[in-house]
Amino acid sequence: MANEDKKPGNEDQAMQARLEALSAALDRKQQDRDGTAVTEEANRKTGRAVSLGFRVLSEFVAGIVVGALLGWQFDAWLGTKPIFLIIMLMFGTAAGFWNVYRIAAAPTGSRGRGNRRSE
Amino acid sequence: MATGTAIDPIHQFIVAPLAQIRIGGVDAHFTNASLFMVIVLLAITFLMIVGTAQKSLVPGRLQAAAEMAYEFVASTVRGTTGTEGMKFFPLVFSLFMFVLFSNLIGLIPYTFTVTSQIVVTFALAALVILTVIIYGVARHGMHFLHLFVPSGVSPALLPFIVLIEVISFVSRPISLSVRLFANMLAGHITLKVFGAFVAMLLGSGAAAIIAPLPLAGIVALTAFELLVAFLQAYVFAILTCVYLNDALHPGH
Repeated sequence: MANEDKKPGNEDQAMQARLEALSAALDRKQQDRDGTAVTEEANRKTGRAVSLGFRVLSEFVAGIVVGALLGWQFDAWLGTKPIFLIIMLMFGTAAGFWNVYRIAAAPTGSRGRGNRRSE
Repeated sequence: MATGTAIDPIHQFIVAPLAQIRIGGVDAHFTNASLFMVIVLLAITFLMIVGTAQKSLVPGRLQAAAEMAYEFVASTVRGTTGTEGMKFFPLVFSLFMFVLFSNLIGLIPYTFTVTSQIVVTFALAALVILTVIIYGVARHGMHFLHLFVPSGVSPALLPFIVLIEVISFVSRPISLSVRLFANMLAGHITLKVFGAFVAMLLGSGAAAIIAPLPLAGIVALTAFELLVAFLQAYVFAILTCVYLNDALHPGH
């Protein structure tokens, strides 16, 4: 009789121990997953930041290059060697700044595109 | 040292003809670039046709990928240009899928990256800008030129502002094409150079101990390049939408 009394208690304890071990393992797994999620999120953020930076750079450089090319071509047509190159280079730089301003200003702009343009 | 053996990081971008074809004196060689464009198109066609053939309620892997691509681009187009812009959905979707698949297939070793050629990316960008101009003029006529005349500018400044706006517009296809091209070129050169580091360190005696360092760098860089491949396709698609939005609604 005593033997039979003891058995359910033992089983309960064993069950309890197993449950605890299981939940501990689950917790550990969850933490691991959270850890990788955090690094993935950080990776994605870096990628977005890099692509935004690259966008700003290319827009800025493209403005200057287009201005310089236009000025150079006007000089070649009109025979006014450096004048148009200098003037258009300045306008090109202005256009480059304008491009960058448009990227930077869009998130708070009134057109309601949210931050989509900034990505 | 192994420096003399010249590990050439540019070699992977050389366009070599596979079959010599001339049509009336025009150079129409079938090159490795053409081959990989065909592969990219076949891969996209395969994904879309096989993926949507089942039409099951619970999608399989291919169907889920096809549906995700469709919904992603559709929401991008709708979010940027409104439902009116959905008539350009086929164009944006084709551009996005072509750029994405070219970037991803190019990451596989021994393949050719189509988007690392400025000719290809500039052709895509020119297609976008020509669509914007032709559609804008056809739909709005001379009103399309209001794109270059912002409202509320004093007449004294107007000529300068218009000039700056025109330069800014002309710079769009250039920045659009150069960004994609430069990202792909830089990424692939970096991978190649790191790979060359491993080979050179292994062949240089005692310094071979630190050869695993650049190898680990390659693993991290490859993951980053996967991200860049997707992000650049996304940026290309969303900028296409932004420019098309100008064609739909000029004059801001």
